[in-house]
Amino acid sequence: MNPLIEVIDLTYSYQAGSDDEFRALKGVFLQVWPGEMLAITGQNGSGKSTLARHFNGLLTPQSGSVLVEGLSIADKKNTAAIRKLVGMVFQNPDNQLVSSIVEEDIAFGPENLGLPPAEIRKRVDWALDTLNLQHLRKVSPSGLSEGQKQLVAIAGVLAMKPKCIILDEPTAHLDPRGKREVLENIMRLNREEGITIILLTHFMNEVVHCDQMVVMEQGEIKLRGTPYAVFRQKEIILELGLDLPIAAQLATGLRQKGFKIPEDIIHTEELVDCLCQLK
Amino acid sequence: MELTKNITLGVYLPGETSIHRLDPRTKIIAAAILITLLLFIKSYQPYGLFMLFTIAVIIASGIPISYALCGLKPMLPVLVLMWFFQLFLYSAPEAEVIVSWWIFSATDAGLHMGNLITLRVFFLFTIITILTLTTSIVSLTDGLESLLKPLRMIGIPSQELVMTMIIALRFVLILAEELDKIIKAQMARGVAFDRGNFIQKTRNLFPVFLPLFINAFKRAEELIVAMEARSYTGGKGRTKMKTLHMGRVDRSAGVVIMLFTGLIVYIILSVNPQI
Repeated sequence: MNPLIEVIDLTYSYQAGSDDEFRALKGVFLQVWPGEMLAITGQNGSGKSTLARHFNGLLTPQSGSVLVEGLSIADKKNTAAIRKLVGMVFQNPDNQLVSSIVEEDIAFGPENLGLPPAEIRKRVDWALDTLNLQHLRKVSPSGLSEGQKQLVAIAGVLAMKPKCIILDEPTAHLDPRGKREVLENIMRLNREEGITIILLTHFMNEVVHCDQMVVMEQGEIKLRGTPYAVFRQKEIILELGLDLPIAAQLATGLRQKGFKIPEDIIHTEELVDCLCQLK
Repeated sequence: MELTKNITLGVYLPGETSIHRLDPRTKIIAAAILITLLLFIKSYQPYGLFMLFTIAVIIASGIPISYALCGLKPMLPVLVLMWFFQLFLYSAPEAEVIVSWWIFSATDAGLHMGNLITLRVFFLFTIITILTLTTSIVSLTDGLESLLKPLRMIGIPSQELVMTMIIALRFVLILAEELDKIIKAQMARGVAFDRGNFIQKTRNLFPVFLPLFINAFKRAEELIVAMEARSYTGGKGRTKMKTLHMGRVDRSAGVVIMLFTGLIVYIILSVNPQI
């Protein structure tokens, strides 16, 4: 199997060559496999957005290379094809919705691809169905909750039928319910539609639902692996300015108090199971 | 200061009435015809008819009349000011003076002119409000794009211009909300907007508009990136989900507009035969 996205020794600096040069990426290697759900996490300014913007050609590498299905992102001729393969959802839904009607906004992407009207209609219907938004088809996004707006933004990307969707802190603006709705839908797209998901997030409770995770700091990848493997390295996680998931924190605390709780607990459900079996 | 409540320009109220179902091109052309007519009305009788017609359209579109008119509230001071300007500054050779004060004098011609201009702006605003209340921004784009397409041949990027305009219109509401938020935030930090003389009041606007502009630029940048990520590369190669076609409703609307135009022109000519 070939990786969907392959990053080879990628570097990128803002204001390159000037006095305030900021080296956002310092030689990153990464492979994203088809069908996986990958979390990229790290503090603000760690370079995760800069990295993700290379995946669909919003930025082009200053050195090193990024290949999407073997197509080099540096070649401008590939940009259109790559944007079709890799969609992107941003943090603030208000700043990415173009239209004042939900279904017309979802049609914006497919329209840009130059598809025939009947096909656009089909895709919009499919995207609405997949995310259970049919009832919002005709309304204006300004009346929706932030969570619903974000789902509309995801539907807009989904209608372009990408193989991979990058979500750049999609839940940062949302209330707990919106966060849950968006996360559940992202997980469903990954499991049921087989769409590769790259989730940029600060929230460890979202990271635990991913297959793989990467921790970045100062433009470098510091840790990578399954969430279980990464969260086992507690000290390093805390040193990098991140938290453990709530369940893991609680499990550690209980263990220190002498309760017999096994290692490797990151999901709330796992902790609940353990606690129920305690005598 | 609830700014957003009063802005109806640029807001779309979804509906299923025949006004909503009209082809956007029909609505844009009809609005253009009505606005052109306004320029030629110089007496009150046609305005009466115009008023009836406007009310009929508002009722047919299912918009509450109070809602359609409440957008006018922020415009009110401008309208009143305009009325006064015309009243006192317009001079005609044989005008009869009604009121005279210091160096100002109001003439009947001025009064007439004031009324006409105010009515003109009032109806102009109402027509545009009805257009945007019953037409989604995307249909407006589609309509304008289709109507302006011929301009492409003489090198004017009509599709891109329309897109720019439409996005500006969409952000009216978002920016108004933001302005409201900034005003409240600055009030919480002690800026007294209602105190002081004119200069102080003007100076108080800086801490409001500066953050507003900065945020607007930030939003614009994010929007550009998001549009680019969704494969937007300008108007070239774009298709549409909804294809425009004019139907029976549009033909009836065309007939109605033509009859109305004829009637107005007839009244104008019979009231002022010299034109």
